[in-house]
Amino acid sequence: MTAEMIPRALIMPRTHETTESNKTGSWRFLRPRYENKTSPCSAACPAGEDIAMIEMLAGRGLFKEAWETILLENPLPGTCGRVCFHPCEGVCNRKDFDASVAVHDVERFLADVAARNDLKPVLEKLPRRPHRVAVVGSGPAGLSAAWFLGLLGYGCDVYEALPEAGGVLRWGIPEYRLPSPVLNVEIARIESGGARILRGRPVTMESLDGLRKDYSAVFLGCGLSRGAPLRISGEVPDAVTDGLVFLRNVRGGQPPPCDGLSAVIGGGNTAVDIARTVVRLGGKAAILYRRRREDMPAFQDEVSMALEEGVELHQLLAPEAIRPLGRRYGLVLKRMRVEGRDRDGRGRVVPTGETTEMEVERVFTATGAEAAQPWHRPPSGRGSGISLSHCVIVSEDGANPLVYGGDPVNETKNVTQAIASGKQAAMALDTFFQEGMEAVEARLAECRVGNGPALSMEIYMGGPRRLRSSHVVQPGEINTDYFRFGARMTQPRLLVEERIDSFDEIDLRVSAGTSIREAERCFNCGLCNQCDNCYVFCPDVAVRRGRDMNDRRIDYDYCKGCGLCAAECPRNAVTLEKEDAP
Amino acid sequence: MQPDGRSREWMCSGHVGCAGCGAAVAMRFFLKAMGEKTILVVPACCWSVIAGPYPQSALKVPVIHAAFETGGATASGVRAALDMRGDTETTVVTWAGDGGTFDIGFQALSGAVERNENFIYVCYDNEAYMNTGIQRSSSTPYGAWTTTTPGRDWKKMRKKNIVEALVAHRIPYAATASIAYPEDLIRKAEKARSMKGSRFLHIFASCPTGWRIPSEMSVKIARMAVQTNIFPLYEVEDGVRYTINYRPKEYLVREYFRLQGRFRHLKEEDLDQIQGMVDEDWRLLLRKAGGGA
Repeated sequence: MTAEMIPRALIMPRTHETTESNKTGSWRFLRPRYENKTSPCSAACPAGEDIAMIEMLAGRGLFKEAWETILLENPLPGTCGRVCFHPCEGVCNRKDFDASVAVHDVERFLADVAARNDLKPVLEKLPRRPHRVAVVGSGPAGLSAAWFLGLLGYGCDVYEALPEAGGVLRWGIPEYRLPSPVLNVEIARIESGGARILRGRPVTMESLDGLRKDYSAVFLGCGLSRGAPLRISGEVPDAVTDGLVFLRNVRGGQPPPCDGLSAVIGGGNTAVDIARTVVRLGGKAAILYRRRREDMPAFQDEVSMALEEGVELHQLLAPEAIRPLGRRYGLVLKRMRVEGRDRDGRGRVVPTGETTEMEVERVFTATGAEAAQPWHRPPSGRGSGISLSHCVIVSEDGANPLVYGGDPVNETKNVTQAIASGKQAAMALDTFFQEGMEAVEARLAECRVGNGPALSMEIYMGGPRRLRSSHVVQPGEINTDYFRFGARMTQPRLLVEERIDSFDEIDLRVSAGTSIREAERCFNCGLCNQCDNCYVFCPDVAVRRGRDMNDRRIDYDYCKGCGLCAAECPRNAVTLEKEDAP
Repeated sequence: MQPDGRSREWMCSGHVGCAGCGAAVAMRFFLKAMGEKTILVVPACCWSVIAGPYPQSALKVPVIHAAFETGGATASGVRAALDMRGDTETTVVTWAGDGGTFDIGFQALSGAVERNENFIYVCYDNEAYMNTGIQRSSSTPYGAWTTTTPGRDWKKMRKKNIVEALVAHRIPYAATASIAYPEDLIRKAEKARSMKGSRFLHIFASCPTGWRIPSEMSVKIARMAVQTNIFPLYEVEDGVRYTINYRPKEYLVREYFRLQGRFRHLKEEDLDQIQGMVDEDWRLLLRKAGGGA
C-alpha cells in the first residue's frame, strides 16, 4: 500500500476507557462516614425518649410508629405529654434558631391518637423468664417498672393499697391537667402488657417479708404521699390541711368546703394545683411563698394560668404562727428579703424582722412531701447491694433483692424521673437475674443516652439505637441553611371563664395537620432522614445508593475526603475524621 | 430524594478534579438534566484536565477538546455537522471556564450567539484561570488575590457582567445558576435543553484551591454568594423578560469575604465599598426585572 492509497480520513484520538481506573481515594486524608448521633433532647429526657426519631416519624404521619418509639422508653406518653416539665424543649437546638419544638404537644397528640383509635403497640419482647417480680405501689415508678419488666420477659404483680391504680398521677394531679380517662388508658395498656395490678391490696412491713419469699424480687415504689408539716405554732388539724390529702379528696369525689380565702403555703406545682382547685370549687386562694415568683419550682406556665384564674401570689412571706380568730385563723407571716444567692442559683432569702398577719379561712400546706412509712425509704448506711442514680438495690445474703425506687430515692422528684427509676430498676433486675449483681453497673453504663444519666431500653434490648454515637449534637453542628423559620405551634386552651368553673382539661385537642407541621420543625439532630444531600453534592460520585434509595455507602476507592457530604448534611449524621496513617 | 431520571450518572468517579471541586459538581448536575444525547465542546479550562488524559474520559457523553478561543466556533461547526446528518435530537453544549468565556473565547461566543446558533453555552465560573495557576481573569471579582494580582496589587477592577453582555445579544435564554441550588440549576438546564437557538448558562462553581477555602466549604460559599446578592439567581428570556428566581436574605457580603483566603487582605473600608457595589448591582437587576428599587 502506498501513501496515496490511504483514504484521507481525519485522524482523531478517541478515548475508550473511563477514569474509574484512577483510585482517587488515595488522595484522601479526611474520611467521612455515616454515623447517627445523639440529640440533645433525648439526652435531657429523664426517660431517654428517642425524640429526634419520634418527631421524624410523626412528621411523616407515621403516628403509630412514633407512639411505639415512645413506649419503648416511656409507658406513659399521654401523661408525660401533659405533665412532664419537658427539659427536652429547654435544650432544643432549634431554640436559638426560632423557637424550640413543642415536643410535649406532639407527644400528647400521639398518645391521644393511639387512645382514640384503640391502637395496640407491637413491641419486641424478650423471651419469657421464670422469675416473677412484686411491685409495691402503682404510681409512675411502679407502673414503669412493671411495664419494662414485662418487655424484658418477667411477670409482675403490682400491689396498690388504694382502690384505683395510678398513685400520684390519679390522686395528686388535678383532673384539668391530667384527665382520668387518659390515665386509665395508659394503665390498661400496661396491664395488657402482662402486669397484674392488685387494687386495694396494701403492703405492710410485715407482709413485705412474705413478698420477698414469694417473688424473685420486690420493687418498692411507694412515693411520698404525706405532706411535710410547717412546724409552726398553732398548727392544728382544724386550721391546717395537708394539701396532698385535699387533692386526693377532691379527686376521690369528696371535695371539702372551700368558701372564703384559703392560704396555700409553698411554691411548687402542688401549691399551684391546690390553689387552682380551690378556685374551681368556688373559693379564693392565695399562694404564699417565701421566695420570689422566679424562684418557684412550679412551671411558670401553670403559675401564669393560676394568676389569670384569680389566684393571688404573695412573695417573700414565710409562715411563723397560726392563731384562731373566731371561726377563722390569723396567719402570721415573716417578711423575707433576698440577700445573695443560694447554691442552686436562686436568691437566698432571710427574714427582714417584720411580720404581717393575714386572715384566712384555712391553710393548706404544700411545702414538700415525705414517705408515709419509714420503711418506704432505703435503709441508711451501706449494706450489701448497690446504689444507682434512680434506685437502690438491697440484697442481703441469700435473700431476694429489694429495690427502692421513685421519689423516695430520686434526687429530682417528678413523674418522668419516677419513670426513669422504674426503667433503671427493670434493667438492673434483669441483669442481676441473668449475670449477677457485679454486672449491673457496667451493663447499665452501656445503655446511657449520650453520656447523661438517662437510660435507653432500646439500647438495652439490642435495638438499632445502640449503634448511635454518644456525641450530643450541638447547635453549631446543624446546617441551618436547610431549615426555614417556622412559628412554634400554639396550644389551644379553654378560656379563663371556661376554666374556673369546671375540672375540664384546659389544653384542647390539636389537629393532625398542626402536629405534623410541628414535628417537621424538628432538626432531627444527628439522625439521617434520607435527605440525600451527601449523594447530591458529592463531586466524585462516590456516594452509592442502594436500589430502594435508603441505604447509602461511601466508595472509599474514589472519595477524596473533601468533606462536602459532612458539611452539607443538615443534621450532623456524617462524621469527618482524620484518615489513619497507612 | 430525586426523581428516577436524575439518579442516572453521566460523570465517572476517578476524575482528577481537586477535592471539593465546584466545577465537577456543576457538570454532574448539568448532565443529569441533559442526558445521553449531548455532545460537549470543551475549550481549554479546568475541565480539559478533569475529563481525563487520553485514553480516559470522565464523562459518558462525547467530548471534543477544543482550542481556548474556539468554544463558540467549534460548537457552531458540530451543530452544522449534526444538522447535515439529520440529527436534531442531540444537543451541542460548549462547556467553558470563565477564561474561555469572558476573555479568550469571547469573540467566538459573541459571534456564535449573534448568529443565534442552536446550542447551549455553559460557563462554569471559578473566577480565575485556576487550571494554569490562579491567574486573574475578567471574571475575577474586585478585591481578589490571584497569582497575577498578588499582595497589595489585588484586583481593583470589577467583575465583568457576562450575563448582561449575552442578554445584549437578545438571545432566547440566558440564566445564572449555582452549585448550591441543584434544583434550580437542573431546572434551568432542562429549560435550556427544551429551547432552540443560543442559550447561555452562567454557573457559579466555587474553587477551594484558588479561593483559599477548605474543600468542604465550596457549596456553602456558593450558597452565600447567592444569599448575599453577590451572585443573584435569575433568568432572562429573549433579552428582555427578567425573572429573579431567589429573593435573598440579603446577608452582608462581609460574611462571604471573611471566609475566603483570597480576600483576607481586604480592610473594613474595602468591604464597605464592595457592599456598595453589590447593592448597586442588585438595584440595577431589580429595575430590569421590574421589581422596583
